Amino acid sequence: MGILFSFLGGLSFGLLGTALKAAERRKADAAGLVISAYAWPALLMLVMTLLLKPGGHIPTKVFVIAVIFGICAAVASLAFQVSIGFGKVTVGWLMMNLSAGVPAAVSVWMYHEELTVLKVVALGLVLVSIVFLSWGQVVERRAAAVNPAGGE
Amino acid sequence: MWFLLMLVILLTNGMSAFGLKMIAAWGVPETVKYPYLTVWYASGLAAIALPMLWKGMRFGKTELIWGALAGALSIGGQVAMAVALNRGVPGHVVFPIAIGGSIFVVALAGRLMFGERLSVPTAVGLALGFIAVILVGVS
Repeated sequence: MGILFSFLGGLSFGLLGTALKAAERRKADAAGLVISAYAWPALLMLVMTLLLKPGGHIPTKVFVIAVIFGICAAVASLAFQVSIGFGKVTVGWLMMNLSAGVPAAVSVWMYHEELTVLKVVALGLVLVSIVFLSWGQVVERRAAAVNPAGGE
Repeated sequence: MWFLLMLVILLTNGMSAFGLKMIAAWGVPETVKYPYLTVWYASGLAAIALPMLWKGMRFGKTELIWGALAGALSIGGQVAMAVALNRGVPGHVVFPIAIGGSIFVVALAGRLMFGERLSVPTAVGLALGFIAVILVGVS
């Protein structure tokens, strides 16, 4: 049963990426969409905070990193939404997920986590994948310049 | 422009979830999670909304509805993963399935709903990236 919820998680996130592209096709403003997408969870989390732990104190250093990484997330969401206006949602979404390699690498440096062979292979593949995706972007741009009606 | 946006996505999205790891490393109580996420979402909201309001941009029904759907799907995904973890499925199983599954769904939708055609290098990059994110999740 737990495995089923893992797949449901994947489906839900996949539909999220699909919904964002569908919104772009309906000419939704990228910034407005990100604001709305952040407003609802912010409200929900505020309600959860007030209901579950009334008067809960948040240490200053936790508050500071919440602000910094919250801004990071919103900037990433906005960049993704702008990118799918002229790029492929498949590539943009993959890039969003490939970004998991960055904290994995930072953790090795910051927390001295063990650099296993599997981790080295994974991070290496992230880099190789980015090279291929960038190469693909160049190839598709050239093809589009030759044949502008040749698809997205 | 595309390359710049991809670089921004890689760096900012990658680090956006790192705070939870820092909190865990500091030994901050689990109860701080909700206030943390409230500030996290509110900061992101303010970072985009304030410049938008300053420019006098307007907010439409399309953005409100699609944004609400996006928010619901995001929370739905998080809850589903949390339930899977609480039911004893190891993280190295849950994360690759959820992340790999989402890439598969978006790739399928990109082809069938939005007519996206991938060049050979992009398709190779997609396949390698798919394997890479699963390996990052496992490792």
